[in-house]
Amino acid sequence: MIEIHPDQSFIGSLSENLEHPEKLTTWDGFKLAYQAAQFKTVPKFDGLLALEHLPHVDFMEHQIEAAETAVHQMNGRAILADEVGLGKTLEAGLILKEYMIRGRAKKVLILTPASLVNQWIQELNEKFYIQAASPRKKNASWNEWDVTVTSIDMAKRDNHREIILDIDYDLIIIDEAHKLKNHQTKNYQFVQSLKKTYCLLLTATPIQNKLSDLFNLVSILKPGYLGNLTDFKKKYKENADDKDNIQHIHSLVGHLMIRNRRKDTGLDSSKRKVVNERLSFSDEEMDMYKKLERLKANHPSFTWLTLAKELCSSREACYMSLNQLKKNAPEEKAPIYDEYIEAIGQVPHHVKAKRMTEIIEKTGEKFIVFTEYRATQFYLQWYLQQNGITSVPFSGKFNKSKRDWMKQLFKNKAQVMVATEAGGEGINLQFCHHMINYDLPWNPMRLEQRIGRIHRFGQEHDVKIFNFAIKDTIEDHIMKMLYEKIEMFKNAVGDLDHILEQIPGGSFEHQIQSILKQSESQGEIDIKLDNLVSYVEHTVNERRESS
Amino acid sequence: MNAPNPYKTFVKQFFISHGCSIINDAPSHFTVQLTNEMDEEIMNRPFYWHYMKKMNREGTPMKLTFSDTDQKQADGIYLHAGTPKLHRLYNTAISKARTARLYEVVHQTTGQNRAMSPWLVVNGLLHYRGKHTKDEPVSIGINLIHGTMMLGMMDKMMDMNFETTVSDYTYPMRPVISLSHAYKRMERHIETYVGSLDHQWAKDSLHHLEKETHLLESFYESEDIGLDSFTKEREQLDNRYKPYIEMEVINGGLFYISQETSQSWMKNEDAST
Repeated sequence: MIEIHPDQSFIGSLSENLEHPEKLTTWDGFKLAYQAAQFKTVPKFDGLLALEHLPHVDFMEHQIEAAETAVHQMNGRAILADEVGLGKTLEAGLILKEYMIRGRAKKVLILTPASLVNQWIQELNEKFYIQAASPRKKNASWNEWDVTVTSIDMAKRDNHREIILDIDYDLIIIDEAHKLKNHQTKNYQFVQSLKKTYCLLLTATPIQNKLSDLFNLVSILKPGYLGNLTDFKKKYKENADDKDNIQHIHSLVGHLMIRNRRKDTGLDSSKRKVVNERLSFSDEEMDMYKKLERLKANHPSFTWLTLAKELCSSREACYMSLNQLKKNAPEEKAPIYDEYIEAIGQVPHHVKAKRMTEIIEKTGEKFIVFTEYRATQFYLQWYLQQNGITSVPFSGKFNKSKRDWMKQLFKNKAQVMVATEAGGEGINLQFCHHMINYDLPWNPMRLEQRIGRIHRFGQEHDVKIFNFAIKDTIEDHIMKMLYEKIEMFKNAVGDLDHILEQIPGGSFEHQIQSILKQSESQGEIDIKLDNLVSYVEHTVNERRESS
Repeated sequence: MNAPNPYKTFVKQFFISHGCSIINDAPSHFTVQLTNEMDEEIMNRPFYWHYMKKMNREGTPMKLTFSDTDQKQADGIYLHAGTPKLHRLYNTAISKARTARLYEVVHQTTGQNRAMSPWLVVNGLLHYRGKHTKDEPVSIGINLIHGTMMLGMMDKMMDMNFETTVSDYTYPMRPVISLSHAYKRMERHIETYVGSLDHQWAKDSLHHLEKETHLLESFYESEDIGLDSFTKEREQLDNRYKPYIEMEVINGGLFYISQETSQSWMKNEDAST
């Protein structure tokens, strides 16, 4: 039987008011109050009613999802850990508003760095129609104010501390919560002793240096959930780099933490159009490719793979490797490479280079061309120049000033940038919206990073991407084996990157490297790659079902 | 094209019934001239009114313009589900109309005086509280002569007319059942009603509460948390998950209703069962 809390006061006040007709209402008044109550009724358990209340705010999809998850699945205790700039404050405001509408949050405390207090008050007022107060030196009515915004430093002062610790807060929001990573600080202990029903911790960096950072945040929401700190430290050895550990922790805190990443949020309003171009080798090129296959007999399969892939990129790249092989070989064996080195000198211009020039000339737009090989990069620059097209080189290895200089040149003078891997935090090239992936990296996610150079925040045009692959070669194989399948899942879930990073035993990239290095034959490579792809597919499906 | 703004009628009626006049009424917006009392009530400027009274001056109440679109060029307060002013009006409307004694308007010119039966009418909200929350409106009437109970009472009464004084040639009957008895019966009815529902939401909440409590106890047993922490968390788990229903009365009153009217309700009730 469910407990019913009755309304104790009503019938008494009715009897009393009947003796005082001036306290009684009219029929119009009676009906209006009834209608007002209907409007205020919360009609359903699920969903976010706050959205209807805030038609003037354009919430993004990931913010709405985060608020729904925090309210309906995490039941109001959550770490909101979106990357910087994705609107954690909006998510928190939305959750707060939802709880207010549902009558679950009246007494609310928001703790934020002092410099952000006014910004919070303003946002709550303008975006959420929530009136919040902030204490000044002498004026602090902790008990009277429903929604209070202040800094931890202010709240824990002697004259405030005891009053605040006595209040039963319905909801406490802590902004920049990573500052609470040390459990021995006064701030941490103060927060830990607050009385709260619901609690939101906001941070863009839930793990700053050590896994124990996260432990301390979780302990505010769910003490004991990760055991005690001593055991926790022993277990995870303070090592935030260990992939397995991180993965384990992630699965544990998955029920408590929401983390949206910039690239998963669909923040890019521009679309991308990907064209896979399958080109055919000329006869000479194909002969060369077949010739290389003879090397399979007495070399590790990895060697052949490398050479074949290089030939698909440029004869120069392949030539460099052949030369290297010759150099490294014992003297008596070195001459076997001469035949190949000579043959490669006879191969005409690369079919991809011709196609690339065609595309660039036809559109007249700025292009960024990515290749895996430095030799190809030089060759392409030379080839473009021969065709009267200006270009600049780019490499992740350039220092910052050189990068900026190349970017400037590309922006103002050159039509094409020929880049090897952009290397981490490279450059943003939103002014360019055409890309050619001249050759394909093994890891589809590397392609994603390349595309990210131009398809990102602030890109106003649709982005057009050409992926080149040569028919009936290893490249064709990669395209069919990895790209097309992976691309298919990618459309099904947004979070592929995440999955690829979390494969047991290393990331997708690692897996591919070790498959290539350790396999004895092409067949073995195929089987292993296929397994890997199936594993990814399986994980994707699991996620889809559980969500 | 668009559905009419559902709040517009409410707002207009609210102001009219509180003696404010609508001084401009266009299709997409309207302007209300507030009275002094209404200005004091809803405009949040206590210092102004305090000052005016102290100086013994009249004071100038404000005008308010409401709009049913959010188009930028239309000025005025955009009426939608979340408009703060609208919520202010809801609260004012409710706080000013908690109780009533009203008589059905009966047009009777000759003949015998007609008897009007007393009814206790109560409107309330059942707040379902647990892991998830929602409200359910209830409106109940009980005839204070013979104890007949009616549900969905306000729906039945919505289009009728009531006055604060009794109509000519009619007289109010003396209640046989006391107000507090009738109210107790309503509470019992709600208990029965609540008991008859399938409360999946409550089961979910309880289940969750048990799960979390077990977890917390195991943390305590393995000494991952201390007693203080345990006690506090335990209490907070109850706050978050323990299912209950809170009955809140919005308003209610003593209504005198003609027997013809109440008989027609009962006939409809019979016909529908």
